[in-house]
Amino acid sequence: MAYLELKNVNKYYAGVAAVHDFSLDIEKGSLVSFLGPSGCGKTTTLRMIAGFEQLDSGTIRLDGNDIVPVPPNRRDIGMVFQSYALFPNMTVRENVAFGLEMKKTPKAEIKKHVDNVLEMVRLQDTAKRFPHQLSGGQQQRIALARALAVQPRVLLLDEPLSALDAEVRVVLRGEIRRIQSELAITTVYVTHDQEEALSISDKVVVMNKGLIEQVGAPEEIYRAPNTRFVATFIGTANQFLGKTSGKNMVVCNNVELFTNSLTDFKTDQPVVVLVRPENIQVQAEQSRQKGWNSIHGEVETITFHGAITRLGVNVNGQRVVADITVANTQPVSLNQKLWLQFPPEACQVMVVEE
Amino acid sequence: MAKSRSTQSRDPNKRVRPASWQIFMVSFFLLYMLVPIISTYVFSVATRWDRTILPEGYTLEFYKRAFAASYFTITLRNSLILSLATILVSLLVIVPTVYWVHTRLVGAKPLLDILMILPFGIPMVVLALALVQVYNFPPLARSPTLLIGAVVIYSMPFMYRPVSNAIQAVDAQVLTEAGQSLGANVFQVLYRIIIPNILPGILSGSLLVFSTVFAEYTLTSLIVGAKFKTFPLLLVEFTRINGNVASAFSVISFTIAWLVSILILWVGSMGNTKRTKTIRAR
Ligand SMILES: Nc1ncnc2c1ncn2[C@@H]1O[C@H](COP(=O)(O)OP(=O)(O)OP(=O)(O)O)[C@@H](O)[C@H]1O
Ligand SMILES: [Mg+2]
Repeated sequence: MAYLELKNVNKYYAGVAAVHDFSLDIEKGSLVSFLGPSGCGKTTTLRMIAGFEQLDSGTIRLDGNDIVPVPPNRRDIGMVFQSYALFPNMTVRENVAFGLEMKKTPKAEIKKHVDNVLEMVRLQDTAKRFPHQLSGGQQQRIALARALAVQPRVLLLDEPLSALDAEVRVVLRGEIRRIQSELAITTVYVTHDQEEALSISDKVVVMNKGLIEQVGAPEEIYRAPNTRFVATFIGTANQFLGKTSGKNMVVCNNVELFTNSLTDFKTDQPVVVLVRPENIQVQAEQSRQKGWNSIHGEVETITFHGAITRLGVNVNGQRVVADITVANTQPVSLNQKLWLQFPPEACQVMVVEE
Repeated sequence: MAKSRSTQSRDPNKRVRPASWQIFMVSFFLLYMLVPIISTYVFSVATRWDRTILPEGYTLEFYKRAFAASYFTITLRNSLILSLATILVSLLVIVPTVYWVHTRLVGAKPLLDILMILPFGIPMVVLALALVQVYNFPPLARSPTLLIGAVVIYSMPFMYRPVSNAIQAVDAQVLTEAGQSLGANVFQVLYRIIIPNILPGILSGSLLVFSTVFAEYTLTSLIVGAKFKTFPLLLVEFTRINGNVASAFSVISFTIAWLVSILILWVGSMGNTKRTKTIRAR
């Protein structure tokens, strides 16, 4: 049985579902991310776990016990807020000690504990400062230390890094992951930054409009998206709309694509074929490999992204994006005609609901 | 012309010179505010001041008579009791209410805002007579308790505004949730987190309430009258007997109000010294 278990959780605001039929198992000691666009219900779900929001229906079990009737201050669930929410009237040490004081921990033990967690977040020497004397990144570390000091059963983080700049964000997410695995603390991490979710999670929950779209390990979510939403929300994917034709061919408006076996589909079924830009090889000349797709187009845009360069290629009126690395391709120029080649395995076929 | 003005305002060393009409307005306002106070002070130590521009002589006689007045200490004590009790009651009523509305019932805030202006709209005489008529049974009838109730209502806006603004500024909702997630109950959250952070608001509210209630006349005279004589009542009584002694009373009243203000501010700064100390130490 999972450690934290949400079952058929529903939450409505004014009759509109913010979270709909949400069921999820979270293993003890794992880090699970909620990922999705703004307004998809991530915060609402997190707040229901914390106890700040009531469920309209469903259950939440922690370690086998129903926690829905338990008030937030007795759930033993720690939370890190987007705005840090440090207590401005207390020093860093007092902030971190607060939860332990509420637990009536003996003084000497509190001191030892606070020193420990401050060391964990590498901010021992700020103990006597007040929150407003710290940088944003430091404040968020203290918020993390404060939540960890009481050794909660579950740690919840709601976009903890979104108020920080890119560099600090990358460092801190690494720290969070390091501390999380060191303590083996069950963690739910809310973010709308896919890179963040993919890089630190054991499991990613992709949400859209209050519904779970897919749950899986980061690689799984990226390589084998279940839905068109996941495929386009995580990373970039070219979409070719068309109809199945034969065992392994999809006829689109402007191209015909070879795909893996289509035995799961009816003939003439409307489908969408998804192809990730990094799976497309760009060639000046057609060097057809057996069974590969090979489509002709003209370069319309070239965008430099550092490690890769992204090409926007016009293929019979449809824009197809392909990534090239400087190392393994010749330079490409605007309006150049070239060939885009990719194997059938690079094509993911999904039914289009009409 | 326009250019020179803009360079002037950009230069931090050059101060913008006020126009002469501005100087005139400010001086007029200052005179308007200060002349009555200064003349009260002078009048309280003047022997005779009706035939000359400056008093003919000075004396402390009127202070002697003021301090010797039979009700002096009792009225002073009553006024202090009334002011402090009012502060206490309105703190107990306002702080939890404002906190509750800001964290749990945000929709009710506009309503509360309007409700808190109402006391300004009710004439004090009407309020006093209405209360006297409704609560005409013992032990409430014409009692100091009823007076405290009335004064609390009438001074409520003075407490509400600063407290409400202070709570608005600290994001009470998130701080509360942070406290709860660390195991604190509502009382611990209020006592350990919210109140220390809105202390400046609480103090300025208390100050405003103190200065209004300490000088309160209408409600006191209409509700309790001679049964619970306060300092302003004694003062008004003496204006009919001797203007100089009444002035001495006014001066004493000012002084007490200032002392108490300083006391409250000092208590407030105690809470802040810890913070400033560490800032300096850095
Ligand atoms: N207190 C509330 N009253 C009414 N509607 C609400 C309330 N809180 C959230 N909602 C609605 O519920 C939906 C989910 O909101 P939620 O805050 O969970 O989104 P989110 O995924 O956290 O988005 P973001 O990434 O912007 O933080 C939204 O459509 C939002 O408008
Ligand atoms: Mg959110």
